[in-house]
Formats: sequence, structure tokens, C-alpha cells
Amino acid sequence: MGIHSITVTVNGAKERLDVPSNMTLLQMLRDKLGLTGTKNGCSAGECGACTVLVDGEPVNSCLMLAVEADGRQVTTVEGLAHDGQLSALQEAIIEHNAVQCGFCTPGMLISAHALLERAPRPTEQQIREALVGNLCRCTGYLRIIEAVQTAAKKGGA
Amino acid sequence: MLARPALPSFDYVRANNPDEVVRLLQEHGAAAKLLMGGTDLFVRMRDGVIRPQIVVDVKHLPGMRAIEYDEGAGLTVGAAVTMNQLARHPQVQTHYPLLAEAANSVASYQVRNRATLGGNLCNASPAADTAPAVLVLEGRLVLHNPQGEREVAARDFFTGPGQTAMRENEFLKAVRLPPPPEGSAGKYLKLGRNKVGDLSIVGVAVFAFPDGTKPSGYVFRIGLASVAPVPLRAWEAEEVLATHSPGEETFALAAEKAMEAATPIDDVRASAAYRKVMVRALTRRGLERVWEALE
Amino acid sequence: MAELTSNPVGKNTPRVDAYEKVTGTAIFTDDLPFGPGLYYGRLVRSPHAHALIKSIDISKALEVPGVKAVVTGQDFDTRIGLYLVDRPVFAKDRVRYVGDPVAGVVATSEDIAEEAAKLVEVEYEELPAVFDPVEAAQPDAPLLHPDLGEYKVANFIFPEPGTNISEHFRLRKGDVEAAWPRCAAIVEDTFRLPHIQHVPLEPHVAVALWEPSNQVTLWTSSQSPFAQRDLIAQSMGIPHGNLRVISPYVGGGFGGKAGVSMEVYAVAMARAVKGHPVKLRMTREEEFIGTTVRQALVAHTKIGCDAEGNLLAMETEYYFSGGAYNDYGVNIVRAAGYSCTGPYYIPNVKGDSYCVYTNMPIGSAMRGFGMPEIHWGIEQIMDQLAEKIGMDPAEFRRRNCVKTGDIILTGMKMPAIDLVACIDKVTKAINWGKKEPPSAPHKKRGKGIAIMWKAPAMPPNPGSSAIVRFNEDATVNVEIGAQELGQGAFTVVAQMAAEVLGVPYEWVRVSAPVDTKYSPYEWQTVASRITWSTGNAVKAAAEDARQQILALVAKHWNEDPANLDIKDGIVISYKSEREQPLKDMVIYGLPNENFEGWKGGPIVGHGKFMPTYVTNLDFETGQGPRAVVHYTVGAQAVDLEVDTETGQVEILKIASAYDVGKAINPDLVLAQIEGGAVHGMSSAFEALKFDERGRPLNPNLVDYRIATAADAPREIHGDIVETPLEDGPWGARGVGEHVMVQTAPAIANAIYNAIGVRFNDLPLSAEKIFMALQ
Repeated sequence: MGIHSITVTVNGAKERLDVPSNMTLLQMLRDKLGLTGTKNGCSAGECGACTVLVDGEPVNSCLMLAVEADGRQVTTVEGLAHDGQLSALQEAIIEHNAVQCGFCTPGMLISAHALLERAPRPTEQQIREALVGNLCRCTGYLRIIEAVQTAAKKGGA
Repeated sequence: MLARPALPSFDYVRANNPDEVVRLLQEHGAAAKLLMGGTDLFVRMRDGVIRPQIVVDVKHLPGMRAIEYDEGAGLTVGAAVTMNQLARHPQVQTHYPLLAEAANSVASYQVRNRATLGGNLCNASPAADTAPAVLVLEGRLVLHNPQGEREVAARDFFTGPGQTAMRENEFLKAVRLPPPPEGSAGKYLKLGRNKVGDLSIVGVAVFAFPDGTKPSGYVFRIGLASVAPVPLRAWEAEEVLATHSPGEETFALAAEKAMEAATPIDDVRASAAYRKVMVRALTRRGLERVWEALE
Repeated sequence: MAELTSNPVGKNTPRVDAYEKVTGTAIFTDDLPFGPGLYYGRLVRSPHAHALIKSIDISKALEVPGVKAVVTGQDFDTRIGLYLVDRPVFAKDRVRYVGDPVAGVVATSEDIAEEAAKLVEVEYEELPAVFDPVEAAQPDAPLLHPDLGEYKVANFIFPEPGTNISEHFRLRKGDVEAAWPRCAAIVEDTFRLPHIQHVPLEPHVAVALWEPSNQVTLWTSSQSPFAQRDLIAQSMGIPHGNLRVISPYVGGGFGGKAGVSMEVYAVAMARAVKGHPVKLRMTREEEFIGTTVRQALVAHTKIGCDAEGNLLAMETEYYFSGGAYNDYGVNIVRAAGYSCTGPYYIPNVKGDSYCVYTNMPIGSAMRGFGMPEIHWGIEQIMDQLAEKIGMDPAEFRRRNCVKTGDIILTGMKMPAIDLVACIDKVTKAINWGKKEPPSAPHKKRGKGIAIMWKAPAMPPNPGSSAIVRFNEDATVNVEIGAQELGQGAFTVVAQMAAEVLGVPYEWVRVSAPVDTKYSPYEWQTVASRITWSTGNAVKAAAEDARQQILALVAKHWNEDPANLDIKDGIVISYKSEREQPLKDMVIYGLPNENFEGWKGGPIVGHGKFMPTYVTNLDFETGQGPRAVVHYTVGAQAVDLEVDTETGQVEILKIASAYDVGKAINPDLVLAQIEGGAVHGMSSAFEALKFDERGRPLNPNLVDYRIATAADAPREIHGDIVETPLEDGPWGARGVGEHVMVQTAPAIANAIYNAIGVRFNDLPLSAEKIFMALQ
């Protein structure tokens, strides 16, 4: 099986990695880079726990090959806070008690972050539809939706 | 029986020109699979449905991710254009809102960032959400082969579940849609188990525009997904709409004909019986909505 | 400097785990690093629902490069189980469901293990299978466990050897036959619920290391680290002190990570490759059939009331499909038996609750533990009775619901609760009785109500313990063996410790992960028992530490400890108005006068709690002085619309109210109420489906759909009622499971209100509703 030498920027840091053909971006992040904030909930693009940004757009990292990330910018949940300062969205999630078990939270944050980047003042319906690919079994979603609204009011992602 | 934990081994090749793709297809036959968005390919590989030895990434070929619009020629969508790219493209939104709507109905936002129009059509799932739109917009599929290119009308493209008119040494380069007729309107309605994001239990696309040559003064086209071995047009329903003046009664009759065109199966998502009556309900609803937009 | 919170009990303090969880730094089991020596396991599963194993050939699998071991049932002469020890570590001579593990393959990568697992050749002889619990309970049904009579069993569980009945609970109160003629209205019907799955976002994962010294460590995503230690130690013959279970954050449990499911396989495989950790993780697909599912139920229920609406009699038979192994499920069925009336006072009751082996996945604990299943039918019958006698369903429930001091069906006196207040709150929140218009002509709108009760279902003596210890700066570490599943347990115990110790909430840390080697004992994080039971232990530990501090300072000041208090981390005297900061004394103690010696030392408080008053119940009648520790009660009301053209249901609003005794953290209670309402709503539309040979048809998230952000109701209204529980910390009782128990019947009652059609069987689906309308 082919091994590919790739260059990828993850959370602002340039990485040079050798990845086998069948390695997913999710496996690369977790197993090669130790970025375990991104979670594996289904390996099939259904649950959204593995959602990361690639060139600013959310994708299911379980359905993308690591080799496809060559030359691209990847942002994971670990890249949302800067110098220990939480993003408005992260703070809003805490403020609304919109986290319970926390397993969906990283992917949820990434999807919501991307939404606020493309639609700074989303409607409730836009938020619901933007988060359809991120399953949560604990919260019932409403607090997450409210947290996104709060972050939007405070000026975005 | 159950999916494997991760992808089986294969060799990834990034194709740089169309001839390379054709060569790899000829060389490896069924052992080669083409990769665009991977949202279906990788799922099926994990499920063990297919096990290619070589995965050829074709999305970087020239034109594969381009959307071009020309008033005379219409729209050309590269096969690897993603659903989100399509749905938010200003000219697609302006001239082909039905296509944008269908693309936007697929799965979730993050899946739509990877899933492609070409992939959705080539997988030839009866439930493909963009297929009814492409059918009623009378799209043509541009296939690359060793001899060059050929075009196949969307209505001739789907030959069975997972089966298309594409030959072994061909691949889809683009989808072409003619310019939208003056005054046209369209609607895609989809029924799933969740409010949004599910696979279609039934998908109905309705497209219409004024046409003085028809007795009714209008052409209506109806495309159906998830209710037959292939996505299909409801020809008899369309005939009714061409010959009867638009209105409640005509729409009810056309919806009945659309239901008759459906030959669904029972599966874990819904029964055939329910699917059939839902074709009727959604077709009628679609016709009403489109008629409102036309008036 | 962030604001400090004094006296945090009853306040909405922020979650202690939130920062970690929003930054991706919270560690879950699969996130732990194990280095290059880590091996991976995969399981070989039965393709048959019921078959004899004729032979297993592992030779081809062993030849695969990278394969380190293959283990089968032949390697283990043992079974495992919580209440009924009925599950072999690997199927030995017989498989009992599609997915039953017959072998485990250990290799250097998950991929190699997967490939090699396909090469394990198993020869089966298929046996007739049985999937329906009523059929399986018949004398001529195919027998799943011929050795049932030889299994070790808890003294309050009663299997019937020679049948598939693994537990039969009998409830007899009053005289139902004499009561029926006095009834003005009787409703009798059969209700069915399918198997459903928990769908935690984090699939099960376990890593086991069996060292050459026979020390064994198990890292696992578990609600039950101590129960896993106990059961696996017993089953695998490991001294308890040699087995260490470490459990980081759990990415959702809902009962699915209670007890032992797949973890024992990791330990069994690790034994074959001593010195190497072995990781076993379930794929999402395996999660559906290879862990546990909620038991299916067939309920035949008959209830009658008089013309004034007083319930007179109930007769019910609950046939639970327990699946292939019922080691945990038997107690669900017992709980359904001793609570079989639902939250109603009924003078005459005849109840029979059966746990029945079926060739289905393993039925086990799921949020609600038997209560969502039985309330599905009960709460619909109550509506029908109210309709028959012309009474408002909410009023009918006010009249008949259990009240403080009632002698309930088991003969136990009902501890203080206020269910009527819950009913009042939800009816107010939903504008009960006010017919509101639908949003479109083809839609119909309706409202429904349902109430519930649930007791923690446990052995009589499940214990909790806690340690509270200080750091040099007077910050506090609370050590518990209870687990943070998302419900907020760590936050609540930190609040309790701070409240008792008189330190700011922000000074308290909860020691995690739970580690059976260092954490104090906890039975299991189940049964909505942590706020109450662990809470009591933490309160006791903090009081112990507090007393040590006050005694020491009182001695130092030569004052009566009764005059001292601790405020914001400073010991104060109300008499002398002296002050002593904790940070100067909780580790180093205090000096005697002129430094002639020292007194005190590091402050460590210990606390424990175990209910001591629960009694066993009479085998023939289910009667006894104290069946359970207490009940939590609540009400829900639903406002919804049905699209008559498609059958689709849109839930507009769910109003919930629960009597939690005391909300230690009100916003976390509301978070449970909201999350539970959506879980309950989703569960009404969920079902695991199987073909006629017991093979799963939808073991994946493509075709097992759960509610998404778009499906969540437009509004969820939560109310908290606080009737203190006698032995609860600050009066608190649990609410984690209760919040979804009656959602499905509340929806069914609202659908009936909208379209006039009743549904006896779950799941509800748009198709089913549409077809019923034709």
C-alpha cells in the first residue's frame, strides 16, 4: 500500500507526515498528531463527532483521506481557543450548560464556528440545519442552539 | 455482516489528466474506483460492499470543480463540484434554484462539503437527491472515454440500482444543463424520517414553465427519487399537465399518475405502499407550490 | 480574579468539566496513549441467532502475520453476570444471538485483527430460534439456557429452570376479581415496545493489560468501574486487589455502559498476550448489537375505575424480551414488577413481570430501567379511562396519583413527594384545556399529558463512599468512585463539599479519572442515585473534615466548637470574633503557645452512605415493608401537530416538571429535563429491526435515526418541584432517568387528541400514523 508524504497545516502549525493511502484525516489527527479532541463516533459521516475545518469549511474527517489534506489548512477543536482565551462560542457553550458528556462537543463547536463564519447572525432555523450533521444524545440541542445565538450576539465565532 | 472498523488497504493515486484515469480504469478494471467526495465510496468500502485495490482521485482534473454558466449554452457543472459549492453558487441560485435546493437537501452541511454532484449521479442510488432535479432540468452527462467524450441524457443514464450507462473505461467529467426556459419555476420536496438530513423515503422534483405550444399553456416536468429501481420521470403525469388546464383537479390527476409511475420496494425505511401514496401527496404539493410561483 | 461562590448548594455554578470539554482536552478512554506495544482485538461474532458450535478452527487466523493470539470459549470455563451469572466469556457450546462473540483475535493492528477474524472458521448447527417474549415463555419454546438452574443468582431474583423465564416477579394486593364488578369503566389492551439502543456518541471501548505479575489493569468507558472490577475479578479468577479499573470521562452512557458488556473480552484477550495492552473498541455498527439494548416488552394490561374516577383494580402481565443473556436485565423486570402500577394508588393489583430469554441482543439497563416500557401502556390506558367516564385526563391523574404517605402496591409507605404539583405546573405551562389552531389546514394539533414514577432499582445495599482532603492552599480534592457521564455528578459533589466545608466552590477539585486503586468505593453510576447516595457520602466526608477543623481550632482558641463556623475558607468564632484561615492549618496544623509543639495535621475527611432499610419482598405477593429507597415523580405535557397528508409529527413543545427534593444545581436539573425530553421524544420513533432469522436490519446511524437539532421541539419548558427527601443531601433525590420515562406516552396521548387514533405499539412512524388515518 502506498505511503504518501504530505505537508499539512494543522491549527496553524505546518506538519510534514508520511501517511498510508487508507489513513483517514481523523486517524491522522488522533493517531499521528495526538490531537484527540476530534472524536470518532461512527466512521461513516453520520454523527459529526469528527468534524474539522479544512480550508475553513467543516468536513467529516472520517470520510476524508489524510493524503487528501496535502497542502491544506486543518483546524480542530484544539485550535479554537487562542492563548488559553476561549472563543465566544466556547464561552457561550459553557454559559448555557450546553455540554454534558462532551463527546459531540468538539464537532458541534466546529460546525457552529463555521456557521458563524459564513452567517454571522444566523436564524434559529439556520442554526438547526447547520447542526443536523452533529448528533447529540445528552443535551436535546436547544441549549446548543441558544449558545450559538449568544455567541452571534457577542460578535461571532 | 457488520462494517469493518476502518478502511481496508488500497493504493491512492491522484490523477493529473483524463487520459491517466482512462488508462488506470483499463488497467485495473473493477479493481479501480474513482474518488471525488468519498462520502459514498468510503462508506461502501468500510461496509465491505466494494474493495478496490486502487482509488483514483479525479477531483483535481481540469474543470472537475468548475461551475460555468453561459446564457446560450447553459450551465456546466464539473463532476467533482460539491453540493455546497453548487447550492451557494450565485448563478445556480439565480438560474437553477431547483438544483440548488436539491443539492442543499443532501445529508448534512459537512457531508455536502465533500459530496459531489457527479458522485451522487454516478452512484445511481434510487434515492439520489440531485437526480430528479437533473432529470427535470433535462441535464446531459459528459463522459470521458478513450475516444474522447460522449454525452448521455440524464433520462438514459440510470439503468438500475447502482447501474448507469457509463462503460467500464469511462468516467463522468461534467453535467450540462440547458438554459432555463423563460419564466420557469421548480421545487424539490423530500420526505425523510428526520425533518432534514435523512435519506429520501420519497423525493419529488417539479419543474414548469409557460409554453404556448401545449394545450395547457405549460410544460410541467416531474422527477421522482427513491420509488423505483432508478430515479425517473413521471411521463404520464407530465402528459396530463400538458393537456389539462392547471388547477386543483389537474394536479390531483397528475399526482395520481405520478403515483402509478412509482414502483417502489419495501425496505427498512418505508413500505412500498406508503412510498406510493407519498409520491402522490408530494407531487400534488410540489405542483401547487410551483403553480403559485408561476402565477 | 474570577468571582468566588460561597454556599453553592442551590446555585447554578458552572460545570467543573466544561472547560476541558469545550477545548478538546477532556480525556476519554480511546484518547489515552499506550505506546507502540499496544495490540488490538476484534471479535468473531455468530451469524446465527441460535446454534450449537460444532467446532472452531483458529489455525488460519493464527498464521496471519501480526496476529498474536486467538481466544475462544474453550479457553474460559467461566461465566459472568451481575444478578444472574448466565453469560459465558465467549460462547462455548452454543450461540444465542446474531453477534454473540465466539472468538477474539489479538493483533498488532486493528486492521490485521479484523482480517484474521474473518479467517476463524466456525462450524454451527442451527437451532430453532425464538424472538418474541410471549412465545419464548411458552413451555414448548426452544430453550436458550438448559443450565439455568445451575447459574448463580442473587437472592431476590427467581429464574424458572427448564423454561426461558429468567425472572418472574409476582405482585398481589387486594382482590382484583372482586373489584372488577365495581368498576364503571375498564380498559384492557396489549402494548408492544421494540428493542432500542442507547446510542451514546462515544462507542464502547476498553483497553486491558495483563502483566506477567498477574496485575491486571482495565481502562474503560464505564458507568461501573467497581462493578466491573468485582464481576470481572470473580469471573476471571483475579484477586480484587490485583484488578485495577481506570475510567476516564464517559461519552454518554444512558445505562449502556453499566455493568459489564464487552469489557470482559478485552481482559480475556489480554490474558493471552501478557505484558501488552489490548484495545477493543466497538464500531458504531457493533454498538447496536454487540453491547446491550433496551429490552423489548409485550404488556397485557387491564385497569378499571369507578364512575367518580377512582382507580379500583389493575391486572397486568409484562413479558420482557431479555435477549440472549439476562444477567442485568432480570432486575429491570423485577423493578417493573414492584412498580407495575405506575405512579397510581390502586387498591387491588395483580401483576406478573417476566424476564424471558430470546435470541435477541442482550437486553440491559437503559435510562428509565423498565419504567419507560411499562408507562407506555399505563399512561395511555389512564387517558382512555378518563375519557370513558368523562373526566379530564389531568384531573384523573391528580385524583389517582400517588401521594405522600400512601401505602403503595408493595405495602411500602410512600416517602414525601408532590406529584400533583408537577401536574399543575405542566398543565399551566402547556395551556392545558385550551384548543389551539394548527399551523396549516392539513395539520391537526393536539395536547397530551403523562406522569411517571421511578425508584432507584438496585440491590438493597449499594454503597457509596467519599474522601475529602485539603491541599496546602486550602483548595479541596473530593475523591469519589462515581462517574461523570455528562449528567453533572462532579459539579454537584463539588458544590456539596464546598457548602459543608465553608470554602468557595471554585476551590474544589474532583479527582478524576475514577480509578479503583485510588478512588473510594462506589457501587455504580446508575439508577439516578449519585446526587442522593454519593451526595450523602460526600456530605458526610466533608462534615468529617469540618469537624476535625473546628475541633482543632476550638482547642487552639480554647473555645467551644459550637461557636465556630467556616466562611469563605476562614474559621471564625461568633463569640470571640477571631479568624483562622484554613490555608494556614489544614495541612500543617496549628502551633501550641510559644511553639511548644504542634497539634493537628493534614485534614482528610471520610464519608460513606448505604441504605440500610430496604427489605426483600415476599416471593408470592411482592409485599414487604420497604421495597425501595424512594421514588422520584414527575409529569410531562406535549403540544404537537400531525401532518395528515404524510403522517409526520412535529413536537411543538414539551413541558416537564419533576420533584427532585432539592435542586443542588437548578440549571443542571433543567439541562437533564431538556435533554431527557428530546431523548424520550426520539425514543418514540426508534426501533432496532430484525429479519425473520434475527439478523439486524438497521445497526447503523443511516437507518437507526435519532433526533437531530432540526427535530428537537421548538420549546421545552422545565419546572422543578422541591419536596425534600428525608435521607437526601439537602433533601435531594435523583432525576437523570426520569426525564424521559413518560415522553412517549405523552406524545401518544397528544396524537390521540389531535387525530383520534391510538397506537399501542412503538415505534411511532410517519408511515404508521398516516396509514392509521386512511
